[in-house]
Amino acid sequence: MMTRFNHLPTLKINTGDKIPFTYKGKTFYGVKGDTIATALYANGVRIYARSLKYHRPRGLYSMNGECSNTMMEVNGIPNVRTETTYLKPGMVIKEQNVKGSAENDLLGFIDKMDWAMPAGFYYDTMHKPAKIWPVAMKQIRKAAGIGKLSPDHHMPGKYDEIFPTCDVCVIGGGHAGMKAALAAAQKGLRVILMEARPWLGGDFEYRTSEYLDSQTHHERAVQLAKEVEKTENIRVFTHTANVGTYNNNLVTGFQIGKESDSFTERYIELRANSVVVATGCIERPLLFENNERPGVMQAGCALRLANTYGMLPGKTAVFSIGHDLGLETAATLHDLGLSIPVIADIREDGQDPKLLKAVLDRKITILKGWVATEAHGSKQVKKVTIKSVDATVSKTFDCDVLVASAGFTPLTGPLVINQAKLTYDNHTNFFLPTDLPKKMYAAGRLLGFENAESIEASGHLAGLKAAYDCENCSIAELGDAKKAMETLPGPARGTKLITAPVKGRKTFICFDEDVSIKNIKQSINKGFDVPELIKRFSGAGLGPGQGGIPGHNLPLFTAKYQALPDIRIKPTTVRPPLVPTLIATYAGTNHTMFKRTPMDEMQRKDGGIFRNIGVWQRARYFSKDFTCKKEIENVRNNVGMLDGSTLGKFRIHGPDALNALQRVYVSDLSKIKEGRVKYTAMCNDDGCVIDDGVVVKLGENDYYFSTSTGRAGQTIEWIRYHTRYENWDFALVNLTDAMGVINLSGPNARKVLEKVVDIDVSNEGFGFSEYKEFTIADTIPVKAMRLGFVGELSYELHVPASYMKSLWLMLNEAGKEFNIQNFGVEAQNVLRMEKCHVILGQESEQRTNLLDIGMGFLWSRKKTGYKTVGVAALIQAEKDNNRLKLVGFKMENNGRAPKDGALIVDDRVLGHVCTARNSFSLNEAVGMALVQGDMSKIGTRLAFYEDECNGELIYGTVVETPFYDPEGKRMKM
Amino acid sequence: MALTITCPICGKRNGYEFRYGGEEKGPRPDQKDLTPESWCDYVHMNRCVAGIQQEWWFHRDGCGSWFTIFRDTTTNLEKETPEAKE
Repeated sequence: MMTRFNHLPTLKINTGDKIPFTYKGKTFYGVKGDTIATALYANGVRIYARSLKYHRPRGLYSMNGECSNTMMEVNGIPNVRTETTYLKPGMVIKEQNVKGSAENDLLGFIDKMDWAMPAGFYYDTMHKPAKIWPVAMKQIRKAAGIGKLSPDHHMPGKYDEIFPTCDVCVIGGGHAGMKAALAAAQKGLRVILMEARPWLGGDFEYRTSEYLDSQTHHERAVQLAKEVEKTENIRVFTHTANVGTYNNNLVTGFQIGKESDSFTERYIELRANSVVVATGCIERPLLFENNERPGVMQAGCALRLANTYGMLPGKTAVFSIGHDLGLETAATLHDLGLSIPVIADIREDGQDPKLLKAVLDRKITILKGWVATEAHGSKQVKKVTIKSVDATVSKTFDCDVLVASAGFTPLTGPLVINQAKLTYDNHTNFFLPTDLPKKMYAAGRLLGFENAESIEASGHLAGLKAAYDCENCSIAELGDAKKAMETLPGPARGTKLITAPVKGRKTFICFDEDVSIKNIKQSINKGFDVPELIKRFSGAGLGPGQGGIPGHNLPLFTAKYQALPDIRIKPTTVRPPLVPTLIATYAGTNHTMFKRTPMDEMQRKDGGIFRNIGVWQRARYFSKDFTCKKEIENVRNNVGMLDGSTLGKFRIHGPDALNALQRVYVSDLSKIKEGRVKYTAMCNDDGCVIDDGVVVKLGENDYYFSTSTGRAGQTIEWIRYHTRYENWDFALVNLTDAMGVINLSGPNARKVLEKVVDIDVSNEGFGFSEYKEFTIADTIPVKAMRLGFVGELSYELHVPASYMKSLWLMLNEAGKEFNIQNFGVEAQNVLRMEKCHVILGQESEQRTNLLDIGMGFLWSRKKTGYKTVGVAALIQAEKDNNRLKLVGFKMENNGRAPKDGALIVDDRVLGHVCTARNSFSLNEAVGMALVQGDMSKIGTRLAFYEDECNGELIYGTVVETPFYDPEGKRMKM
Repeated sequence: MALTITCPICGKRNGYEFRYGGEEKGPRPDQKDLTPESWCDYVHMNRCVAGIQQEWWFHRDGCGSWFTIFRDTTTNLEKETPEAKE
């Protein structure tokens, strides 16, 4: 392991704190603060992976994680960007896309086969004859591709999500971003600052060159960061990559947690009044032969290796650069001990005189108007050929590192995904954002500024503009900030060179997909002449890095190759997520949320087995016998209690309450009498039945009604929707959670109830389908109904949720002598099925109308003038004979019941089973099914086809319904 | 996701809080003189304009009211009037 610097002020590592990790099965050590990539680099690793198509060796290139070069498998997770992922103790790191090792890849020979794989070769070849494609595809997929995820992989860690709001959101914590945040905060606004790296400071943070008055850029960055951190109304999210920006300034990002944080990663979605984007620049890759050979790296990468991570990139480095950062890097690294035989500067002139002097003072040779044309060395750089830009003169230098960079390219992603346009700017050679969305501003280096003061001033101005949007800044102040900017240097002139003078067979414009400029030429020659088409045909920019590496070189090269007079060609479209994000992070914490009824605790104590049913958890069984034999027989022969609290319960009152009910219910509710229960149903505009329940008239213009469990949440919305034009005067209250329901059912139900209540509950005093209000023990107000859903004598008692437990206990006590038992949702399901009482959603599906399930009797045809929802469609549907009908059936020869959902077939599908059970009450298997209309005749034979039945059908016959107690005597007794 | 909607009672809120209720098509037609075709058109046919449309929204996680807004379907931004132009 190489020795690391430990004296630089910019270092982010602690060389005293060693961190062990496993790489290729052996233990290595990094230091605290290392990324995975820098820890490997310090241990001598230069080849991190092999490329997708040609299996070319790939190494450290940018340190920003834009490309697949340094993607590896970490702790079983493939495609981890090791340049930006920090080392943790015990990490297990593996290479990917190699046969053998990255160092000696058995598929490395493919690199020499590139002649056989021109751009789009898989579209042109291997499809004639058609049958070779499946074979070829298999082989290609074996050789190509990146990481593999084990199907058994379980994602460790805790993932979270937060949804903060703020006045101003600043994306990017460099100098411009920090100044923007400070400017807005000083105007009293709440600011959120997002920074992708774990610390503030951006591109100046790791630079030790002079800022102003003998203060270094680094010192200035630290000073600003302190100022930001002590400003209370700035909330800083570090290690938070921005992944999306949307309409109305919705900004999303994901944050990687520190050790002390409660989350591994978290998703952040925030809404800001205005947004400042100060994401800065990355370097534009220089295009020459073998421009991605391990050892070739960008200037910022070399500088950060030294200043942030404390190591030199190698012993001898040739520089081929096109910006002042390259000169600064050379001077800095020279002072740290790097030998630099030559700097080839693309620019003939225009260098920063101070930096030029610094380079010359150090006796480094600088060749202006020169550029690297080829890196030599089969696995790592050993030699570099540089040529004058006109390719007339050439020199070769031995080296182990080539620092190569054509210039800068702005990170405009957050702006363009929110619909800003990009326009080519001749001065900076940037595609600059224009037509920015409302209340969104750009600042800093991404506009082309290189001078530190200009960068800060542009940030300050953008911060004030954002404050102006929040009405916290005056026009005069904005004017002053604009004037201050005018006195400072404007955007720097950018280098125009796109490729070194090369033919380009091994000059890669896109590293991820191994696309060379030769491939781009092939694509253009085939007529794919704009970047969006070239991207799809050649694959450039389709890889994991998306537009990261080829982003701006592709449109620039496309324009140049076609000798277009002006560059109207645009970069390819950028889409969120801007940075790859774990699906686990988007998913967040898995909240298992459900509602509990007031009887939840007591039913659990009684051995209830609970299931999630809609938004609720309900007791489905009370024993391990899921046929519920005991529960069913107890209700049929004795008395049971069911918790029906999930039922939707509503009160509607006011002068137009009846009008509203008449609008949504198919029955005529004007005829409803006080003290009576009216069973009715709601349809949608297509006549399809969506809900059933009972309505009770409490008094003048005052009604109480119930809905099915599943519809409770939408009922208010539904009624208000269908009355939205009417201006009717009614109030609607959802009492679902405020009221609980106990269903007391069975032949002994009356004997239990009369012990608890003071009223007359005889069949004469409280008959079937009647409604009563009374209090129990002078305290508990009860709304009681005599219904017969399960087909036995039964009372539905609606009481305030807070009294549910008391009433439950009282009934239990009173029922002790009869051995009263709980029954659950499944028992109820079987009991009501035997009576052919439907459950909507089970005996109906979306297309099933009121008539199909035989409930047409609920529809009052005489009721007109209410524009009742669904009636127009029902009138039409009545004439239609081609609809499914609900029928009852029993199985032949005492056969078992088919599974719910089984198909009814001949050589076609003719219907399906809704519910079917082996009935204990009837001693045979019965069920209900939706079948084609012509099959609804009594005696029709039905053939059932079940999942995995291997073609062995079972048979049943359509019979009269209901199966149990056809005269309905038991529920009326 | 990025949509915001201005509820007449609760003000400008996150789009997550609302449920869409379709295009504004006027009150329900009278049952008299209704043909199956005209009824089907009223219920199912939409104009699907690329531009500004008036549409219904329900403040599900708020006051529970139905109201209409004008929205530019091409930008997903709310407009104050049907004629609003940038």
